[in-house]
Amino acid sequence: MPPTKTKTEKTTETRILFRNIDEPGLSKISTYKRLGGYKSLVKAYTEMTPEDLLAELEASDLRGRGGAGFSMGKKASFLPRGDMDKYLCCNADESEPGTFKDRELMQKNPHQLIEGMVIAARAAGANRCFIYIRGEYVLQADTLDRAVAEAYEAGYLGEDVCGTGEQVELVVHRGAGAYICGEETALLDSLEGKRGNPRLKPPFPAVEGLYGGPTLINNVETLSNLPHIVASGAEWFRSFGTEQSPGTKVVSVSGDVAKPGNYEIELGVPVRGIIDDLAGGASGKAKLKCFFPGGSSSPVLTVEEGMDLPYSFEAMADAGSMLGSGSIIVCDEETSVVELALRVARFYHHESCGKCTPCREGTNWTVKMLERLSHGEATPIDLETIVSVQGNITGNCLCVLGDSMAAPVSALVAKYRPEFDQAISMGGVNGHATAGNGHGGDALPDVAWPLGAGSAG
Amino acid sequence: MVEPIRELVTITVDGREITAPEGQMLHDAAKSGDVEIPVFCYEPKLGEPVGACRMCLVEIEGIPKLQTSCSTPIRDGMVVHTKTDQVKEAQNAVVEFLLVNHPLDCPVCDKGGECPLQDISMGWGPGKSRFTDVKRHFQKPIELSPLIALDRERCILCYRCVRFSQEVAEDEQLQLLERGDRTFVGTFDDRPYDDPYHGNVIELCPVGALTTYTYRFRARPWDIEDAGSVCTLCSSQCNVKFSIRDEEVLRVLARDNEDVDDGWLCDKGRFGFQSFGSEDRITQPMLRGGDGELSPISWDDALSRVTKALKSSGEKTAVLAGGGTSNEEGWLLGRVLREGLAGNAIDSGAHPADAGAVRGLSNPALTARMRDIDHAGAVLVLGADPRNEMPICDLRIRKGVRRNGVRLAVATDSPTALDRRAHAVGRYLPGAAAGFISQLAGEIRSEGSSSGPDAEAVAALATELRGAEDVVVVWGEELWSEPRAISALMDLATVLGIEGTETSGLIEIPTEANGRGLREVGCLPGASAGLAEAPAGPGVSEFCEKLRDGSLETILLADSDPVRTHPDGEGWKQALGNAFVIAISSFETPSASLANLVIPAENFSEKEGTITHPEGRLQRVRRNVPPPDGLLPTWNFLAAVATELGVDCGFSDQPGLFTAMTSSNGLYQGITEEDLAGQGVRWQDREGAAGRVPAGGATPQMAAPTSAPGSAGAPDSIRLGTRRDLWAAEVAERSPALEFLVPMQSLEISIPDAERLGLKQGQAVEVSAGDGASVEAKVAIREAMIPGAAFLICGARDGNGNLLTGAVPGSRTIRIEVATPVGQTENT
Ligand SMILES: Cc1cc2nc3c(=O)[nH]c(=O)nc-3n(C[C@H](O)[C@H](O)[C@H](O)COP(=O)(O)O)c2cc1C
Ligand code: SF4
Ligand code: SF4
Ligand code: SF4
Ligand code: FES
Repeated sequence: MPPTKTKTEKTTETRILFRNIDEPGLSKISTYKRLGGYKSLVKAYTEMTPEDLLAELEASDLRGRGGAGFSMGKKASFLPRGDMDKYLCCNADESEPGTFKDRELMQKNPHQLIEGMVIAARAAGANRCFIYIRGEYVLQADTLDRAVAEAYEAGYLGEDVCGTGEQVELVVHRGAGAYICGEETALLDSLEGKRGNPRLKPPFPAVEGLYGGPTLINNVETLSNLPHIVASGAEWFRSFGTEQSPGTKVVSVSGDVAKPGNYEIELGVPVRGIIDDLAGGASGKAKLKCFFPGGSSSPVLTVEEGMDLPYSFEAMADAGSMLGSGSIIVCDEETSVVELALRVARFYHHESCGKCTPCREGTNWTVKMLERLSHGEATPIDLETIVSVQGNITGNCLCVLGDSMAAPVSALVAKYRPEFDQAISMGGVNGHATAGNGHGGDALPDVAWPLGAGSAG
Repeated sequence: MVEPIRELVTITVDGREITAPEGQMLHDAAKSGDVEIPVFCYEPKLGEPVGACRMCLVEIEGIPKLQTSCSTPIRDGMVVHTKTDQVKEAQNAVVEFLLVNHPLDCPVCDKGGECPLQDISMGWGPGKSRFTDVKRHFQKPIELSPLIALDRERCILCYRCVRFSQEVAEDEQLQLLERGDRTFVGTFDDRPYDDPYHGNVIELCPVGALTTYTYRFRARPWDIEDAGSVCTLCSSQCNVKFSIRDEEVLRVLARDNEDVDDGWLCDKGRFGFQSFGSEDRITQPMLRGGDGELSPISWDDALSRVTKALKSSGEKTAVLAGGGTSNEEGWLLGRVLREGLAGNAIDSGAHPADAGAVRGLSNPALTARMRDIDHAGAVLVLGADPRNEMPICDLRIRKGVRRNGVRLAVATDSPTALDRRAHAVGRYLPGAAAGFISQLAGEIRSEGSSSGPDAEAVAALATELRGAEDVVVVWGEELWSEPRAISALMDLATVLGIEGTETSGLIEIPTEANGRGLREVGCLPGASAGLAEAPAGPGVSEFCEKLRDGSLETILLADSDPVRTHPDGEGWKQALGNAFVIAISSFETPSASLANLVIPAENFSEKEGTITHPEGRLQRVRRNVPPPDGLLPTWNFLAAVATELGVDCGFSDQPGLFTAMTSSNGLYQGITEEDLAGQGVRWQDREGAAGRVPAGGATPQMAAPTSAPGSAGAPDSIRLGTRRDLWAAEVAERSPALEFLVPMQSLEISIPDAERLGLKQGQAVEVSAGDGASVEAKVAIREAMIPGAAFLICGARDGNGNLLTGAVPGSRTIRIEVATPVGQTENT
């Protein structure tokens, strides 16, 4: 049954992945199957050849939901054919500040992900699957462990999937708490038991990935889409969203909004609709100031720039930012942009793996300068240096983490320069933004991003 | 699996056309066209590039972002710019970033003046830093090992040392700990870095983060001169570069020779130079007086005494050459004995090689190059532990396995360092190599033909070797102690079709550094220079007997220490005690301490001459520092002896000697000193090589072993074998930096035997064999051991295992008694 799709003036959710999300007991295989689960898996294994399946996925134009937005089907088609161990890794390391959609998808509907993975395994010819889940997601990992055991029991995993003689094994692997292990090649090293550092690309994982074998890596949400595409077809899938961003997206909305949480929307709805209609608009009295459209690594858009744009991969890119993992972090007028920049920089400095020079040293240097700036110990030259250092990081790193700090910090300085100048001339930001939302002042929370969490509904 | 040949393509770098093999890294291609791109982390010797430092960014047309030239393979038509504003900006940025946390303590840093970070900062950096905050601090320096100091503040986290540890030496001890700008180099739990190759990280480090205690604060680059030679401490014959200040060697560095050493040194070669200046070194001719003490005599006196002794024993003289004795010296020794004294008792090495078999094995089509190991289909390590006997060969094999998928088969009596990387491992009892090799050859010939206790291991080894395209067999000199093992080896070579392929072959690991060369210049019974037919004579193991029974009266030892390094040390002690002994030696070694006359020897920083690598490569050892005052070059002394004995030498200087030596040698004929420049030359690679080896029987004709191995002892008995240890060597004991590595004697024994005998790890025991001699040892229980055998280190300073072996290795069983520590009673 295709979901109902309503288009009104007010933006509403379009639930595909979240269709039954609040059904009690959905994480159990019995409930999941009662609601129609695992039919797509059976269909994929008994009615479709791997080639059919791959063609369907490519035709759907499903784009990766983990950050880069690359076509899922195309990536799967890069894996060489032939008889060798091939791997599928689900990236469940979800650590980008502001992003908490995978958590809900795994906690509440683990079988949707497992079904999607077994389908993806057939399309890519993979026989060994891993879910690499961030270590802090204890509850979600436990839930997945149980669900995987159920799926083995039911014959959807194991040596003989659905009696077809195909073998698909799945292991849930818990990470040890490093953001960088969400980067796909660092994930592979970590999974192999090594220090989680990004690898040089090429070779790309599709050619030489886990243990040197061809490997497909996809995000939780990306893979959770597959049962639906198989059930209803690529054309149906493309009837949602925009031409270049088909389908729906689970958006994590956090920050200064009244109702932070996860909302599944059709791609292309206006940003304003997500923030105001779904997330309830500003949480306090202050007006909204800006937002990160795709996690903390995306350059901020001011309210004026971004509120009326459609929320799609292409529109965010055209505006000089990105949809990324699809997490909107909203800031109101009481937010100190200097503190915000420092908070972002601290996160990436803390998480930099240190392998490449510009990121390792650049994040460290940037934090030191921004700290002085926010304490009123900086000069105008420092601000110039901050800008120049971001430029020196951009595009020169081994992986994207370095740019993930440089891009938002550059955007904040470019768009709110007077606030930085003021911090220099007025001796810091103390007293400027300490009130209200806890973003300002000296007492910065060291690790936790001030996020709303949990789902809407 | 032959090394792939790549098509040549043309790229443009900074407007210059460069032709290079497709797929070569852009950095290297640019370099071949004289375009220098700065790098820190890139070092092809370490394997795949890591792209960490970002120093090598360049612009490639058609790609929007800058690319790391160290990791970008070239394609035809690529257009590259290395000097545009964008590239310069990136280079400035990376240098500035690297200096953010670098202390810039150049004035007190040993790397100063030869530091890539200094050079690249000057050449490609912005010239100033905008960083005004606090740099990171560590305690500095800390002791990474007793030989290496680590200054974490200077470290630029280039990954080189860590990659060496993980991907070259494969000891996996060096790690990067913590992350981001908190990252630092260290070992697990701060344990000392313990690896026989670890000195290489000093050279790899592009800054002064890793320095050695032996060189710290000794010199600046402008104080020293570089000079090349070849290390003669083992048969790896690594190419070295000495740093010399005021005519003293202060440091030994690698002088990359891909054909020989891949640019690595072991720590023995790197730090052993300390023995050159040892106070115990013998620098004058010495005569043993009635009181048993050595006292100096003049060179003239020495010459007349040596000549007199030789003349008086005449053909009852034996010559045993070893160590770093050069080809020239070996050749002169042969002439002294054969022409001057009409003798024929001359040998080299520790095990009795047969001239006929040596000729057979010298067939160029049967010899492998070191390089062949890199891309072999399979490598078989037979009767040797390369780590301890030819360390660089161990690294080479690891490289082939790790990077090129070489299949590795190991068949030895005792465990080897390569076991862990091997795809199949077989173990035989000491002295039982011949049977094992025959069985292996049989199994390869007709699958499934093996039976008996070894069948499974033999089948596994055969599987690795049977289908392999090219096989390189690395085998140990010890096999000569079992005559039948050599014929089995020949048979194996035939089964493997080695003669038919260019890139397969055998390489023998000799026990002496110039083992191959010495045989080829005539230090071999029955073969004179060029392996030419000569009157038959006794071999090394017979010397021992004959010196005892008086049928040989005098022995001239050239850099050879049989009491220490040869089987039956006890027998050798008696033999030397019973004979007139002339030792050419740098130290009063166990053998030299029984000598009547000691002639001081030069070392490889002082000597002029050539040596021959196990692959047949002639290499040049060069004088870089003058020997101690008045020390006569050994060749000079030998030539004088020859002249006294009426041998017409016909040369008056070193170049003349080289020409005379090569022109009288069918294998080396026509090689000039220029041919040897730098990389040396393999005689097999020269024209007409196949015809150069004299015919003379490819099948060994040798005496049967004195006691048949296999029949020794009762069923529960334990047969004694010996193994080599890299550090059980004179040079380690004489070099203060290495002394801590000198091993205590240990008895390696299998788990079942240890359990049966109630032995515990580390327990002190007394091991005895044969006629009552015994040595003390600590029990070392090892997994990959064959039950029924135990191994002692041959060459150990205290409790040398060779004292118990008897003449035929593997022929004796041992008795083990738990040593009772003083004041304690044993309660087993
Ligand atoms: C520093 C860094 C962290 C990342 N973290 C995550 C993550 O937590 N989860 C995720 O799905 N992708 C993450 N990615 C993106 C992955 O590298 C990869 O693109 C993604 O898993 C591919 O899946 P998709 O195509 O389904 O989006 C990260 C990338 C970078 C550079
Ligand atoms: S950009 Fe940062 S996280 Fe990525 S490899 Fe470089 S140091 Fe590591
Ligand atoms: S110690 Fe030297 S070689 Fe090792 S990572 Fe640091 S700079 Fe590189
Ligand atoms: S491996 Fe042998 S030749 Fe090479 S440095 Fe060590 S001792 Fe010298
Ligand atoms: S040399 Fe290329 S990245 Fe270091």
